Amino acid sequence: MTQAAPTETAALLAENVHKRFGNFEVLKGISLTARAEDVISIIGASGSGKSTFLRCINFLETPDSGRIVVGGEEIRVRAGRRGLPVVSDQAALGRIRARLGMVFQGFNLWSHMTVLQNVMEGPVTVLREPKGEVRDRAMDLLAKVGIAEKHDAYPVELSGGQQQRVAIARALCMQPQVLLFDEPTSALDPELVGEVLKVMRDLAAEGRTMVVVTHEMGFAREVSSRVMFLADGRVEEESSPAELFGNPRSERCRRFLASVL
Amino acid sequence: MDLTLLAWGDAGWGDQMALGALVTLAVAICAYALGIVVGAGLAAMKLSGLPPLRWIAQAYTTVIRGIPELLVIYLVFFGGGAALRAIASGMFGYEGYVDLPIFLTGTICIGASAGAYSAEVIRGAVLVVPKGQIEAAIAVGMTRRQRFWRVLVPQVARYALPGLGNIWQFTLKDTSLISVIGLVEIMRQAAIAAGSTKEPFTFYVVAALLYLGLTSLSNRGFLRAESWANRGVRRA
Ligand SMILES: Nc1ncnc2c1ncn2[C@@H]1O[C@H](COP(=O)(O)OP(=O)(O)O)[C@@H](O)[C@H]1O
Ligand SMILES: [Mg+2]
Repeated sequence: MTQAAPTETAALLAENVHKRFGNFEVLKGISLTARAEDVISIIGASGSGKSTFLRCINFLETPDSGRIVVGGEEIRVRAGRRGLPVVSDQAALGRIRARLGMVFQGFNLWSHMTVLQNVMEGPVTVLREPKGEVRDRAMDLLAKVGIAEKHDAYPVELSGGQQQRVAIARALCMQPQVLLFDEPTSALDPELVGEVLKVMRDLAAEGRTMVVVTHEMGFAREVSSRVMFLADGRVEEESSPAELFGNPRSERCRRFLASVL
Repeated sequence: MDLTLLAWGDAGWGDQMALGALVTLAVAICAYALGIVVGAGLAAMKLSGLPPLRWIAQAYTTVIRGIPELLVIYLVFFGGGAALRAIASGMFGYEGYVDLPIFLTGTICIGASAGAYSAEVIRGAVLVVPKGQIEAAIAVGMTRRQRFWRVLVPQVARYALPGLGNIWQFTLKDTSLISVIGLVEIMRQAAIAAGSTKEPFTFYVVAALLYLGLTSLSNRGFLRAESWANRGVRRA
């Protein structure tokens, strides 16, 4: 057995994350450690808190308590007005977000920008890198996701699969330490799922560190280094894909797998 | 119609009418710019989580929209003038007649009304920007300011431009109301010329043509701005 990775060497550490909306406790203490090159799949029924957990990692939702450490830098949360949690250090938050590439279920490409502008925006505006360099890198990434010829098109002119591949290129262009995917293929027509999964498999094969919320059990089984099964805001089961899919220990996990496989 | 009345220079009224058109345009542009700034501020207040700010903004738009604009101009001009005279005599012992600067007063009154109307247009536009557009900007690490200028403003502009184009037309025409406090713009200039030549119809037709020229030119500008702001949107 490998030892639990110490904080400093983990690419991403989330510890005991709690989150409630009003009186409804969505996350009841979830922890996750991703070392470099890990691919962690998060599965679970709809409403179990998968998206909320992912959004807490980059503070699209502010967790009520818990720790998030990215590349050795930690973000602290304190109670603000009306007891709502706030992050005091906005600059650190910006740095951490820039190190986490996020791919959304609904793509969320900026509709007033072309494909190339979408991919270049973060590095140029947030990281203040020189445009020429960013442009070269962006074109390389667009070629890699197979969409270079569309670099001047607007998102609305692309299919869902193409948009999601652009969104992945946009995330990659920030040269993030960890990629977060929230059901990246769930909004796609079935015939377009494959092209996006192929890009994600290639990224995993390259040794990218990824946390993937997914309903694609084939992907979770074949690509992940570890799989987490969430139920009711808790980690119900976590193990290697072979073990979790081959021999699930918890009854809930067994039932969930039976329902989706 | 006697077109020699419109000759340039001492012989006719052509140059005065042209100058009037420039004054109209200048007031309209200043008032509109003020209106957009006020409107954006009011929209931000209405969308803010702080109830007192929402109430203040709501009260402002209710009052301004509920009172005829002409009355607003009278209230500000005469009320402001009286206040100014009270200050002049109370603090400086000056008993002469003091008036508010006409151009400034007119600009503020028309701008106040443009602000109340554009607040609603801008607020509505902010509400229809898909949440994911801003979330993507947050996720990439943009600061608030970057999110505002790089994503929110271009998206809001797209949805707000048609409404803001309407408000520009109203603003341009409403500047004619400032003639009542003595600003020599198109309407006032036409009235002066009409009185002195006894040819009212000629000069009011000229005034109408000047307004039409200004509105149709600016309309074209707005259509261009709209098609630019709508880049990346599939046309229905
Ligand atoms: N902003 C929110 N306000 C209130 N409830 C929310 C909010 N976001 C999510 N929830 C609730 O939290 C629960 C978990 O949601 P989510 O994390 O999206 O689940 P999953 O991604 O696993 O389907 C759901 O019951 C959902 O309705
Ligand atoms: Mg979800």
